[in-house]
Formats: sequence, C-alpha cells, structure tokens
Amino acid sequence: MSMRFPLLLGIVILIAGLGLSMLLTDYHLRLLNLAVISAIAVIGLNFAFGYAGLISLGHAAFVGTGAYGVALLTTLLGWSPWLALPVAVAGTAIFAVLIGLPLLRLKGHYLALATLGLNVSFSMVAANWIELTGGTNGISRIPELQVAGHALADERSYLWFALAVLAVSAAVAGLIHASRHGRAMIAVRDDETAASMTGIDVTRVKIAAFVLSSIYAAVAGGLFACHMRFISPEDFSYAHSITYLAMLIVGGEGSIVGAILGALLLTFLPEWLRFLGSAYLAFFGVFVLAILVFLPSGLVGFRWPGSLRRDGRSKGPAMVAASKEVRP
Amino acid sequence: MTDFIQLFINGLAIGGVYALAAIGFVIVYSATGVVNFAAGQFVMFGTFAGVAMLLNAELPWPVGYGAALLAMALFGALFFAVLYLPLRKSPVVTIIIGTVAIGITMQNAALLAFGSWPFRLPSPVEGVNLTIAGATISAHAIAVVVVTAVMVALLWLLFFRTSLGIGMRAVAQDIQAARLMGLKVNRLLALSWVLAALLAGIAGLMLGPMWFADTSMGDPIALKAFAATIIGGFGSLPGAIVGGLFVGLSEVLGASYVSSAYKDLISFGIMIVFLLVRPQGVFGERVQDRG
Repeated sequence: MSMRFPLLLGIVILIAGLGLSMLLTDYHLRLLNLAVISAIAVIGLNFAFGYAGLISLGHAAFVGTGAYGVALLTTLLGWSPWLALPVAVAGTAIFAVLIGLPLLRLKGHYLALATLGLNVSFSMVAANWIELTGGTNGISRIPELQVAGHALADERSYLWFALAVLAVSAAVAGLIHASRHGRAMIAVRDDETAASMTGIDVTRVKIAAFVLSSIYAAVAGGLFACHMRFISPEDFSYAHSITYLAMLIVGGEGSIVGAILGALLLTFLPEWLRFLGSAYLAFFGVFVLAILVFLPSGLVGFRWPGSLRRDGRSKGPAMVAASKEVRP
Repeated sequence: MTDFIQLFINGLAIGGVYALAAIGFVIVYSATGVVNFAAGQFVMFGTFAGVAMLLNAELPWPVGYGAALLAMALFGALFFAVLYLPLRKSPVVTIIIGTVAIGITMQNAALLAFGSWPFRLPSPVEGVNLTIAGATISAHAIAVVVVTAVMVALLWLLFFRTSLGIGMRAVAQDIQAARLMGLKVNRLLALSWVLAALLAGIAGLMLGPMWFADTSMGDPIALKAFAATIIGGFGSLPGAIVGGLFVGLSEVLGASYVSSAYKDLISFGIMIVFLLVRPQGVFGERVQDRG
C-alpha cells in the first residue's frame, strides 16, 4: 500500500459524505452522524483486533471514558468542548495504558473475558457513582461544539465536522498501517514468536495497538457526547462493544474501508429492516452468523463468483493461522 | 447469625445454578474448544421451556420438567448442527462472535414468543419453608442445593464410570487420537452440546422460581458463569463447581454486607485479579494462552 491510499481514502470519504449530506433528510442525517462516529470507533478497534489480533470486548468502555470525560469537564468545570476533547482523549489513553499493561498478557478468550469484565465494571461504576456521573439518569446539557463562532447545532453541519474527523482518522490509520508500526502489529498477530525473533518488542506493540484503539474510541466518545448532548451508562454497555466488533467483522477485519462499511451497514440495517419490527434482532444474529460462515473476511472480501482477481493483502487466512489455539 | 445462615443457603442455591451453567460451558469448551458466549441464553431458554410447559401448557410438574428438558436436549443438538458444524474450523474469535450472534437471536426469539412481561415460574415445593437454627429457609433453596449435588455426582459417574463419558473425555483430550481409536467423534461432540443444554435447562428450571423469568436474564447469568469458570479454572469441572458456588455466595453475602449496588463488581473484580495473578484458576488447565 502506497502513501497515496490514505489520502485518497480521506478525500473519498469527504466527497461521498458531502454528497450524501445534501440528499438525506434530517432523520437520516442523524443516523449518518451516528454511523460516522461508530466508524471512528471501529477504525480504532481495527488496530487492536484487526491488526494486532487482540480480542477486545471492552471497546465501548473506552468510548465511554472519552464521552464521560468530555461531559464532566464541560458540565462540571465549564470547560470549552475544544479543550475538554483532547484532555478526555489523553485521559483515556493513560487509562488504556494502565489497563493494558496487566491485561494484555492474556490472549484469546482469556483476553475477551477480561475486557468483557472491564466493560461490565465500567457500566456498573458509571451507573452507581451517582454523585459524579448522575447514575442511570446520565449527564445532560453537554454544550454544543462551536466552529468560528458558528454552533454545530443542526445535523448537517455536525455531519460535516464528523466527516472531517473521520477522514483524518481514516487517513492517519492508513498511514500507520503502511508504516513499520502497522506492519509490526500485523506481525505480532500472525506469529508472536517470529515477530519477537525479528526484533519487535511484542509487549510494546500490543500496548501501542491497544492505546491507539482507545484513542480512536475516546475521539468517537467525545463526538458522541457533543452530538447527543446527553449520555447515560447504557450508551456504553458491553452490548455496544459487541456491536463494534460485529461491525468490524461484517465489514472486514484488518481493513479500514471494511471498518467504515461495517459501521455504516450495521447502523442503517435496523432502519432498512424496519418492516421486521421487533424481530429485527433475531434477524441480526442470523445475518452476522451468515456473514461469518459465507464471507469470513467480511464485505471487503466479497468477490463476484468466478472472478479470479485477488489482491495480495493478507486477510482471513493469516488470521486463521494466528488465532488458532493450541488445545491441551 | 440466623441472617448469615439464611444468606449462606441462598448463596449456595444461586451458586449451584451458576455452577451448573458453568459446568455446561466447561463441557462444551473442553470437548469442542468453543467458548460459548450464548451459555446464559441457554439457561434463559431452560427457564422459558419451564414456563412453556408448566404455565402455558399447564402440564403437571414431573411431566412438564421432563418435556422442558427434552426440548433443551433437542435444542442442544440443533445448536451443534447449525452453529458448531459450519464454524468448527474457524478462528476462536469467529466462533465467539458466532455464539454472541446466536445468543442475540435466541434472546429476541424468546422475547417475541413470550413478550417482555416477566413470568413467575412456580417451584414444586412452592411456599414451603424450613427453620434451621432459627433461620427461615425456603425449601426451594435446599432443593436446588441438593439437585446440584446430585447432578455433580451423576456427572462424575458419567465421566469416570461409563464408556460413554470416558469417550467424551478422550475426545476432549485429543480429538485425532480419539478418532484413531475408533470413537464416533462427531456423535460424542454432539452429545457434549446436548449435555450442556440439559445442564443449562436444569439450571434454568431451578432459577425460575428464584428470579422472575425474564427474557433478558441470560446475560447476567452468562457473566456470572464466565466469572465462575475463570475463578475455578478454565476447562476444569471441579473448578466450575467451586467457582459457581463462590460467585453465588459472594453475590448474596456481598449484597447484604458490603454494597448491593456493587455486588457484581466483587465477582468481576476477583475474576480480573485471577486472570492477572493466576489465570489457570483454582484447579486450572495448563494455560498456553498467556504469552
């Protein structure tokens, strides 16, 4: 992958998004905003899971840390969101280092269960530390973002801002993927022993991937808080972590385009399947299972039957080799 | 002291339910290597199988319990065919997400079939209370502790005294060697799913009278069963029992002596400490996955 791809990706996101922002109704713009915010979080999860192979079922906890950081700094201390956002992101990154140092010694389903425990604990603390977080009532009246004196109050202008953040996030992620740091993460995923033999500091690479993923999550959380202007613990329950992971897997793990596609699809799918009514979730489960069985490398891995075109990037098969467990 | 006895028995009862759920989880994990994130929904299905047979079909309770467990056994076989067979060669995470996806479908299906209004599943010993050392204890709690003990004994007999159980252990140890020894591996793998579903069914039938039967009850049970499995040791049956009882006791005693808001944090906190300090748990498997 050349250095041109990330730039191109960013430009495509901006153009497609701007076009859509002119066509859609306010309600769909709101959904698109949520999809764009999820896409940022899922691109982050892609560092940890797609590149470094770390199964995290606690991603929503980091989204929540970012969102609560912004919400508390703006409502309790009266900070400007522009100041609160970077501070919340930095705080989340420090939190991720502290969590990652002990937790990342675990692998496979042990790591999955530990991060799940982390997410459940986060929700419990957020719901019960009422003096600080307002408990299940959440935090309301989060101030709106202002750009050059103009408040991003309506869905369309907020979408433009979110798209810009997504374009930059995707381009940076593409640059990291193309750099030796990205290759180091993938090497660690594919074979830890071989990676450490080539001089890669496996622990540091894992922590770096985990912290990067938490930074993206916190950015998404901050954007979510400023968009909804109200947050509560349910917005960051472990069910959301599972949704983020499902978005990445449906789109295509290890792929930035896949992360964005998955976030878009799974945000709009309930809308398109509204005729199913309350049976939507039953369909959703079967749909994800069908993707796992028939499209193991996700939507980006889709090829028309009979097509011989293949790109050389390692996807599914390498992952299979990496995470296959040694059974006792 | 009387309070403590009461809480202790109730803790053991709820712990017995967690232990059975955790045993089902462990049997499937050691036989097939699948980390079943739908384990909690299995228990929920068990409770609602009871609701369907005892409340909706109004069967007398021995027949109703039998019918509910039969339905669970069939469901276990179905799960084996629909989820395990297509995904068995996939990486761990694919299977994890697959079971999560099916769990979501199961919960939604139960919601569609039974609605969101919770049910009260009666116990065969409904309303009977015993007095032990001044403490009033419901006969159901005692019955749950007894049933759990009997199930554990039966499982021990199955795994150590019958050729079927020994075959299942052989498959869990080395699937290739088991196949070369002429064991019908697929049949034994299917049987482990059926056994897990049956245990979840029993856990669900016993849990019904203690909690309200609610279609969203699966997730909290799954989380407790996971914590029990980690604390006891992943893949270990004695570990699942000890872990389940420990989680149940810490939940009930923690709620009244420490803090009812943070009662669940106790078991998760201990689970995370175990993962960090002793990931093989109390009775653990040899851990390759630590690095």
